Amino acid sequence: MSGQRTSALVALLDEAAQGLWRARRMTVVSVLQIAVSVFLVGVFFLTAENLRGVVDTVKDESAVTVFLKPGAAEEEKAEVERLARESRLVARWRRVSTEEAGARFATSWKSLSRASSSLASSPFPETIELDLLPDAIQSEALRGFLPLLATRKGVDDVQFDVDWIRRLRGAVALIAVWGGAVGLFLAVGAVFTIANVVRLTILLHRDEIEILRLVGAPEYLIRGPFLIGGLAQGFLGGSLAVGVLYLSFRAVLRYVATTHNVLVGVFVVRFLTPSTCVLLMVGGLLAGVIGGAIAVRKKHLQG
Amino acid sequence: MIELYHVQKEFRGRRVLWDVTFQMSRGEFVFLTGPSGAGKTTLLKLLFRAERPTDGQILVNGMNVGAMSPGRIPELRRTMGIVFQDYKLLPTRTIFENVAFVLKFLGVPTQERKRRAYQTLRMVELHHRLSAFPEELSGGEQQRVALARALINEPELLIADEPTGNLDRRLAEEVMKLFTAINVRGTTILLATHDQDLIRGSGRRCLTLDRGRMLEGLVESSVPPQAPHRDPGTPPPGGDAP
Repeated sequence: MSGQRTSALVALLDEAAQGLWRARRMTVVSVLQIAVSVFLVGVFFLTAENLRGVVDTVKDESAVTVFLKPGAAEEEKAEVERLARESRLVARWRRVSTEEAGARFATSWKSLSRASSSLASSPFPETIELDLLPDAIQSEALRGFLPLLATRKGVDDVQFDVDWIRRLRGAVALIAVWGGAVGLFLAVGAVFTIANVVRLTILLHRDEIEILRLVGAPEYLIRGPFLIGGLAQGFLGGSLAVGVLYLSFRAVLRYVATTHNVLVGVFVVRFLTPSTCVLLMVGGLLAGVIGGAIAVRKKHLQG
Repeated sequence: MIELYHVQKEFRGRRVLWDVTFQMSRGEFVFLTGPSGAGKTTLLKLLFRAERPTDGQILVNGMNVGAMSPGRIPELRRTMGIVFQDYKLLPTRTIFENVAFVLKFLGVPTQERKRRAYQTLRMVELHHRLSAFPEELSGGEQQRVALARALINEPELLIADEPTGNLDRRLAEEVMKLFTAINVRGTTILLATHDQDLIRGSGRRCLTLDRGRMLEGLVESSVPPQAPHRDPGTPPPGGDAP
């Protein structure tokens, strides 16, 4: 009995493959449609994921830089450090001397370090860097704290753009929402394309379906190949999309590395996580299954 | 094997079968005849549940065909083979594939499929044309392939709807010889035809339908005479039947 089931399953797969092959042009169109849909969703995911990474990086490395006036007195520096110590927004602080700032510049911008070293005096002022606590950026108290620092004696400028980070975070959320909405829209389109392809395959096989019914083939054996066909198209489309997305990502990364090398290393850019890739492929597969299921509804199979 | 009791069939209020009652025993070979539009095809469709009776009871192999759920129809059909006038062969598949196709979906292993397809095609003397396509065969050969396909699942009952309708006299007689041979092996056969020459001299029981009414029910006869034998009290068929 199990051998009979295995044979029937093999027959199902064989018929599904033959069905896809016979309607190969439509199959290719359908697979491409799913691939395009999943690819675009993947692009949104990739963009949102990396922007979120940028926000996290900025947030993690969010140091308020207090530029000191040349010749600022020790008491004036201590006053800034006292404010930092007493604030509930600051995790730690440190003084950065002009020499240290110069060394940092030389490490980050090798090609420009020679120009800076040729100057008579160091262009880098002494600073105090304040590392904020993780949630400090959300706090309204930060708006009052920064001007307080800026008005201290011996302080030349305070650099920290909290609005920029907030805007970036909002943009990331927007991209994620738009990505989801566009993805859903495209997925619905893909589902109907697959449904039409499967329906066309059914039309091509109408005689076979009639004969199968007359000889008493069970319904699951009649509908099975069409469902498997939809599933296969969905899986192929999803896999193709993830593959093309990865290759495009590598190509863009290589292009950026050769033309805008200063950006590389500033931001950590990464591809989608394996679980997101699987999610995209499953999304394609689901689109295929739903499309197939729509097509094999009884009214379409009755011919 | 087949029992029909007071079966009626209407299509959109138009009655095409009137109070049809007959029985067929296991192993019988019965002709169903009547002019075109008499209701022969409708009656056969009722037997394999392509249509449901409007009224009456149909028993095939002990199964109540009219009352059975759609899910049980495949079970019913697996007990019978069906042959049509237009053969219904798949033009894109070889003769072997056309015949073995059914077994493939019923989960019969490849080797067994090949063996049975070969044997069945041998029975209809087409085992030498395994890889030919239907269009390469004559009408008679195509009908023999259709017959092989109907027989490959070793059905207990064979239903044939005008199987010689598209064939010339010589080919029709060849196909009829095959039906006879199949019946000798024990398969029950109900064969619908309007060709009186095929029935004449066959010595088989013949059921006659005329405008939806069964004129010959349980009469053992070589050829049905022109006049109806059954139910003389029944009013003549109305003009609303086909």
